[in-house]
Amino acid sequence: MKQFFDSILNVAVPDPDDARRRRLLNILLLGNTVAVLLGVLAILITALTSEQLNEPDTRILIIGIFASTLGLMGIYQVNRRFSGRWAALLYLLFLNLIFAFTDSPDQLSNGRSLFLFTIPIAISSLILIPEASFLFAVIGGGIVGGLALSINQPINLFSLIGFLMLALVSWLSARSLEIALKDLRAINANLDQEVIDRTQALSASLDRERIEAGRNQAILNSIADGVIVFDKKWNATLANPAIKSILDLPLELIINKNFRELIEHPKLAAKSRGLLYAMIEHDTQPMGFRIIWGEKTISVSAAQVYDNREDNTNIGTVTVFRDFTREAEVEKLKSTFVAIVSHELRTPLNAILGYAEMFKEAVYGPMNDKQVNMSDRIMKNTQRLLGLINDLLDQAQMEAGKLTIQIAPLKPAELLDTLHGLMDKTASDKRLRLTSEIDDDLPETLIGDSARLQQILVNLVTNAIKFTDQGEVCVRLLRADDAKWGIEVEDTGQGIPASDIPFIFDTFRQVEGATTRVHGGFGLGLAIVKQLVTLMSGDIKVESTIDVGTKFVISLPLVIP
Amino acid sequence: MSEQALIIEDDEDLADIFAEALRGVGYEVEHIADGKLAENRLNTGIAPFIILLDMHLPHVSGADLLTSIKRDGRFEKTTIIITTADARMGDMYQEQADFVLIKPISFVQLRDITARLKPK
Repeated sequence: MKQFFDSILNVAVPDPDDARRRRLLNILLLGNTVAVLLGVLAILITALTSEQLNEPDTRILIIGIFASTLGLMGIYQVNRRFSGRWAALLYLLFLNLIFAFTDSPDQLSNGRSLFLFTIPIAISSLILIPEASFLFAVIGGGIVGGLALSINQPINLFSLIGFLMLALVSWLSARSLEIALKDLRAINANLDQEVIDRTQALSASLDRERIEAGRNQAILNSIADGVIVFDKKWNATLANPAIKSILDLPLELIINKNFRELIEHPKLAAKSRGLLYAMIEHDTQPMGFRIIWGEKTISVSAAQVYDNREDNTNIGTVTVFRDFTREAEVEKLKSTFVAIVSHELRTPLNAILGYAEMFKEAVYGPMNDKQVNMSDRIMKNTQRLLGLINDLLDQAQMEAGKLTIQIAPLKPAELLDTLHGLMDKTASDKRLRLTSEIDDDLPETLIGDSARLQQILVNLVTNAIKFTDQGEVCVRLLRADDAKWGIEVEDTGQGIPASDIPFIFDTFRQVEGATTRVHGGFGLGLAIVKQLVTLMSGDIKVESTIDVGTKFVISLPLVIP
Repeated sequence: MSEQALIIEDDEDLADIFAEALRGVGYEVEHIADGKLAENRLNTGIAPFIILLDMHLPHVSGADLLTSIKRDGRFEKTTIIITTADARMGDMYQEQADFVLIKPISFVQLRDITARLKPK
């Protein structure tokens, strides 16, 4: 029904104001037509009951009615097909014309029918343009005035003023309506644009998400590491194909299962079980450890996933499983190798050293000076070789991450006593003084790894002696501030060129090839010192002036028992 | 009568040097190169004054020998000197032994230590 009315009332034009006016005009036309048809019905009924059909007035009336109907249909066609403006103008003129004949000139100009001419004024501002009300106030006024003059009556000025007032009110209200509509349309247009923009943004972000998801899936499928994603309750929600071969389990036994089922799997070594339970029970930060799964060693790392939209709540964990079997074997071999080398190299060197000492000590009879001197040289060279082996082993251990710091209470003064015991002879052999100072502020006992600190001191002093030809090597233990203590080793040696300072802590390096030949040194001592200091959360610096000397300054965290 | 010293060391040269150092200060020295043989010898009722024990031995390890020595009341008065090339292992046995010497062991050092131990 509504569709039917819409189809006969609406006119499809791009301008919404035009469409609105034309629809309004069509409604009026339809109303008028219905009114006219009702009029015809009324006349017919009256005529049938009072037999006045042949009266000339009635005939004129009927002709008028037919003419009106035709006129209305004509205007309707103009409105539909040609122009809303012209149709409205025609309709309004038509109304005025009809009104001019509906009553006696007397009543029309100054009586009961005077109000009829207000109708086109009010309608015109709605179906034509707002200002048209003034035009029809003038036309209505003209007709009323003309009718009054035609019957020699005075013109009713109040009615003309009334027409103009009505025109003014119509104009204002129609204009307000149009402005309001325009604003509304502008708002709607903005809203539409907003909806379009938002929709596009949403679809773009959905596209991105889809691409991202596809990419992530491809990454997951192609990497060699096994990945399982768990939700907050440690139920596996996602796993990649690699996990199948790493754990030798079908995906069905992993996905949608709780992690606890995997932990209870008989392939998992009992000692690894605790590690995994610890991981799921303590919601700790990203971590890594190794587990034994059947014949395999698997490294496990886990990272918690946080929802960054909502105050960073934990929404699950991503765990990565890497087959570490080969690496673990290599590490074990390396460790065994280091232990064997350590034993196999030291034992024969010990024998060389021991026999040389026996010569020197004249165990099997007196020796001449030359022979004693030769034993000394054998011993010295053997010691040097031992030093190199120790450095190499330390380096190997450090690279394997096996060198650890073992802390316990220690007395700094004892470090210096031991240092003197070990190094005094080396220094005096080169006619150098080895001196040491200890800061009064330094606590008598502090926490540290005495063996490693001793190693640092020996390495630095050995180095200092090696590169100093005259003067002294001075070792100072001092308290830097409330939280730090320090070691300084200063010599009066040849100094290090500024350009070489950045490299002196590198493994296997010594400043300039020529120096190597003069001193026969090996670049591991400083590298080991640097790594040990780093392991102790400390920091090492060097200051050096050519031909004046070098000072190594180590700063370490101070922990008092 | 001179004090008895038992050297358990698989390297013949080192055993020779150690023996020479100990003999030099007046010990009566016996040398065994194998863990299993050492175990048998220790069960024969001897109570040496000093045992110089290498940790790295064939058949029965130094660590196992150390455990059985510590368990046996007969060796209560015996001074146990551990010799090892592995500094970490040395730390581990610090508690159980009287001395831990890390290889290389100096002839002079061993001679001086054992000389001091000897009752005057």
